[in-house]
Amino acid sequence: MNAPVTVPIVSLRGVGKSFGPQRVLSDIDLDIRKGEVVSLIGPSGSGKTTLLRCMNFLEAYDEGEVRIRGALLGYRRSAAGALVRESERVVAEVRAPVAMVFQQFNLWPHMTVLANVMAPLTLAKGLRADQARAVAGEALARVGMSAKADARPPQLSGGQQQRVGIARALAVGPEVMLLDEPTSALDPELVDEVLEVIKSLSRGGMTMIMVTHEMSFAAEVSDRIVFMEKGRIVTIGTPREVIHAPAHPRIQAFLQPWIRRSLGHPAAGALA
Amino acid sequence: MNATTLFERLAAYLPVLLQGAVTTLSVAIAAIALGFAWGAVLLGLSLRRGGRGVLPAAVRTYLSFFRGTPLLVQLLMLFYLPSAYGLDLPPLLVAIVALGLNSAAFQCEILRAGLVAVPAGQIEAAASFGMPPARIFRHVQLPQLARAVWPAVVSEGVDVVKSSAIVSVISVADLARGGRQIVAANFRPLEVYVSVGLCYLLMTGAVLWLGHWLRGRMERP
Amino acid sequence: MIDTALLGQLLPAFGAAALRTVLLTLTGLAGGLVVGFAFHALRETGWRAARWLYTAYTAVWRGVPFLIHLFIVYFGLPSAGLSLDPFAAAGLTLAVYGGAYFAEIFRACWQSIPRGQIEAARCMGLSSRQIFATIECPQALRASLPLIASQTILLMKESALASVITYPELTMTAGKVVSEQFVYVEPYLLLALSYWGLSLLVNRAAGTLRAWAALRETPRP
Repeated sequence: MNAPVTVPIVSLRGVGKSFGPQRVLSDIDLDIRKGEVVSLIGPSGSGKTTLLRCMNFLEAYDEGEVRIRGALLGYRRSAAGALVRESERVVAEVRAPVAMVFQQFNLWPHMTVLANVMAPLTLAKGLRADQARAVAGEALARVGMSAKADARPPQLSGGQQQRVGIARALAVGPEVMLLDEPTSALDPELVDEVLEVIKSLSRGGMTMIMVTHEMSFAAEVSDRIVFMEKGRIVTIGTPREVIHAPAHPRIQAFLQPWIRRSLGHPAAGALA
Repeated sequence: MNATTLFERLAAYLPVLLQGAVTTLSVAIAAIALGFAWGAVLLGLSLRRGGRGVLPAAVRTYLSFFRGTPLLVQLLMLFYLPSAYGLDLPPLLVAIVALGLNSAAFQCEILRAGLVAVPAGQIEAAASFGMPPARIFRHVQLPQLARAVWPAVVSEGVDVVKSSAIVSVISVADLARGGRQIVAANFRPLEVYVSVGLCYLLMTGAVLWLGHWLRGRMERP
Repeated sequence: MIDTALLGQLLPAFGAAALRTVLLTLTGLAGGLVVGFAFHALRETGWRAARWLYTAYTAVWRGVPFLIHLFIVYFGLPSAGLSLDPFAAAGLTLAVYGGAYFAEIFRACWQSIPRGQIEAARCMGLSSRQIFATIECPQALRASLPLIASQTILLMKESALASVITYPELTMTAGKVVSEQFVYVEPYLLLALSYWGLSLLVNRAAGTLRAWAALRETPRP
């Protein structure tokens, strides 16, 4: 990637967050470049989902700065330099380039699949119905769900619903996609169809930040892996550095069960 | 009497209203107790022979009737029909019985909902370990049942206190009747009935608070 | 035992009275839905004053017996300048009383919508107003239908109290027959059957409405 040095799309500096007395994030520094795929991995309670949700202000971080394309997210600086909460409208503007795919899909069950994908376009982006339908149609085709455009979410399998969720995020034309454990709520046999879609998006150059437990997939698709524990970033590296040949003893301990399980797997040869 | 201030008048109402409130609470408590006992019996009867047969059908009819007709109608029927055949029942007794029979219909449904709140699997597991049914009921079903139905029970308690105001129409000396008597004497319906309303609000509030407090006691190990 | 000829004679009067009961109930239903939804929508704005107003309204109106509300409006308000005839007083009181219950029904149904759907909509840039109209209302209102149906039956039962302020609905009509003709069984029988029948009708209508709403949910494959 010989891209000229530009402002990172998502930039975190010294980000911290507490839920009451419980500190869930500390000292997070992270830059995401355009076209990168970054995976956040770590044990439960490590704060990776909270970190992801801070990137589109679904959670309000308490310290530090989150910048989307250089613009400060969720706050502005007062004259004294303190962080002051911004209005809903400004927050929506700053986070517009960011779209999210949820673990529980969060589709709207009373609307058809097509309506689910069109809604953000007509209601938030102000597109006309015919324009929105065209864009939505393309997004559904991209994830292979065109045939189900008139179905309603409860009639679809988990994998199909998640693909619609991805289409909905794609349709708004985001610059960054956040994926919060996109396959964790799926039955095992439905996981692959979703991973395939995510893989094809990454090959198409989409910037993605993903929280996942699918280690092989993360290793295969990511440019960088971030390992977190107890609210802090332990290490950032390439898949080879972090997953295939982890130097850090804590990462080794975390990956043990996965390695043990994968060693029985024919593809375990990739673990060299 | 025209020179009295609002405060003086309110103070004068207090003894009458207090006496009425005591009657209201007594009637309500008696009716709730009667309703619980009779409601539990009804539930037991309705579960006979798996819900088929004459008794369960009779219970279903009872429930449909007492939940589908106004309490006022039930009260009037219970009061005037016996007197048509020469049986003069004391109003207080009729009030408690009518409220109790009515509440039983609702409490029966509440208890039934509580029964199904405990997953069958837990009962199966207990039985497979050799626990006798009585013990299963006492240690597995009852604690969970109580927690599950508690909000509905408290709600029913509040409803009975409110419904008890109806018994004033058959001359039971409760809070509502106390209010009517004062109004008949001093012709100031607005302030009297608002005061009566506030008294009821305090009583229903107390029931809700009591329910909340008891729930706290239940949660403690 | 039962004078069927008399029953036949009473039918016209009871029929007209039943219509008045229905009219009163529908007034309470329509008015209550409007008032209840208004207060709920107010609460959804998130303004602190609105929430406080909502809590005060639902707590006070549901904590005082309907009979007292009725007395305050019919007997009390005239001294404050507002004199209403029995129908207007009963209808207004029923509407505002029912509104407190409908508001709580709406609140519960709104809460039943999974938070994730709201989050997703917010992420995608939808405003609070858009979320309320296109995500929450369609689902929550559909879910509220069965609860609204049971509340309607409750309103119909409370409407019997309008007899105490001399509105000639079912209960008052029965009372009149009893006191004028000295018969007891037939009027009360008709009275109970009328309310019972009406409540069964409401249940049937609610079932049909629910089936219709569910049908519109699932598209043809």
